[in-house]
Amino acid sequence: MACIDRASPSLKHLLLKLYRAEKSIEIDHHLYEFGSVEYHIQSKVSNPLVAYLSISIPPLCHGVLSNNLSPHTIEKVKGICPNLVEITEPTKEGYQLTLKLNLNQIPRTKDYIKVIEDISTVQSVILSSQLKEILWNVNSDDAAQGMYKPIKLVYNPREPFFVIKQPQRIIAVFPIRFREKSDVIIATTFFQELMDVGNSDKWTKAPPCTWSAIPPPELRGEAFEDLSTNGGFVSFDISSRHVEGNRLDKTVWNLLNFNAYVRYHVKSTKGFIQRRMRKRLEDLAEVLHQTNSEENEQTKEVKQHEGCRYTNKLVRSSKHTMKQRWCTLGRKIKRIHFRLKIPGFARFRQRWLRFPKFSSKKYTKLE
Amino acid sequence: MGSTLRLYLTCIRNTLDAAMCLQNFPCQEVERHNKPEVELKTSPELLLNPVLICRNEAEKCLIETSINSLRISLKVKQADELENILTKKFLRFLSMRAEAFQVLRRKPVQGYDISFLITNYHCEEMQKQKLIDFIVQFMEDIDKEISELKMSVNTRGRLVATEFLKQFI
Repeated sequence: MACIDRASPSLKHLLLKLYRAEKSIEIDHHLYEFGSVEYHIQSKVSNPLVAYLSISIPPLCHGVLSNNLSPHTIEKVKGICPNLVEITEPTKEGYQLTLKLNLNQIPRTKDYIKVIEDISTVQSVILSSQLKEILWNVNSDDAAQGMYKPIKLVYNPREPFFVIKQPQRIIAVFPIRFREKSDVIIATTFFQELMDVGNSDKWTKAPPCTWSAIPPPELRGEAFEDLSTNGGFVSFDISSRHVEGNRLDKTVWNLLNFNAYVRYHVKSTKGFIQRRMRKRLEDLAEVLHQTNSEENEQTKEVKQHEGCRYTNKLVRSSKHTMKQRWCTLGRKIKRIHFRLKIPGFARFRQRWLRFPKFSSKKYTKLE
Repeated sequence: MGSTLRLYLTCIRNTLDAAMCLQNFPCQEVERHNKPEVELKTSPELLLNPVLICRNEAEKCLIETSINSLRISLKVKQADELENILTKKFLRFLSMRAEAFQVLRRKPVQGYDISFLITNYHCEEMQKQKLIDFIVQFMEDIDKEISELKMSVNTRGRLVATEFLKQFI
């Protein structure tokens, strides 16, 4: 996947390391980006103030551009940091461009990060310049005959796209391919939103965007493998307004990175869905665990209240028990056998040692 | 909640309430084994008639009951492709983590998106009413979650599209 940032992160990291090193260090690194861009950085201990950066980029469009960089592109590269960057001739074997970096020219203030970042954008400068050249030069003969042939651009080998230059506009067509079906659906949703937003009144200045499942008529006659996609085709109509002045750079860079942008969106949306599902799982499971915990609490409460329940029962039934006990005591006293027989005591006992009867169960007969 | 959804959920609730009278029952085929009869289906006398409750063609609920277990299978509505992948992703995600739910089946019954298996042991451990509440709540939440996810994906798409087009101006 291509990088949306203009500066190459690995190149920037290496240059910063070289610049920040307190002692002079020897570096001889080969970096590969997107499988096709190669950097070679060389710095020697004997000459720590100079580093050599060689770069090899496959041509954006086979057949239209030669392998060597055009003078216009070289001028653009020179313009990155004129004091700091020098183009060495001849270039290192196997590379299209070799730059001599005068590290002592990098400012000692905080600006050094920006300067190094600018140097790291060398690949984006070359690519943008190549695309601009293609748009300026090609099709001039065909246009005279009223034919506008699509140009196949290969920034990333797996994701070629087409540019068709017409008199009033440039059409950029992106065939979209994904491995997974879910990616295709998320991307399709994004394209529909892109069309809606692009066609709204607020965005009339933005290039109109269209998405279709079938190849647009401009691509008629192209190779079958280029037209077989699972995500359809996205087209942008670039008018002269979008390539005026400073906007040209932005437009070119956006077109080069559109595929990367879509892939990044799909990836981050999948991450978002995953995060949300994970959170939701916790919420859903919590309902069931709540049920369990509530039940356990209820069981505990029942156990705790068992003692109180008996107390309450005891309190409630105390009146009844007292009555029962009183009766039992009376019966026991009645059963006492005296050893001494006193004449008339039985009558006395019947009369005076009589225990009162509770009238709770007694009822009075109504006459 | 829509009136049709409420009716659908009430119907499921009432059916579950009636169906969830499970008891311990040892396996008749294998000695000293106790298996959910609704899964084995070896003894037809232990199975009740399955009940299919449909809200529409895309949304239905199958309740299969036996003497010691109950199986609930749900089919969730998928109006478009985005809802389809979101539902599949989410329900697969939940099924992979079935241990968190105890009553969730790892693999749904064929033709359905998600299945639950409730045994008499679950009914003994958890309250019956709470289990029914959980199932109904789960159905409501899934519908809500899928709708919210779909809206979020669309909103994200719109924001990203806006940011992309902003760069051209």
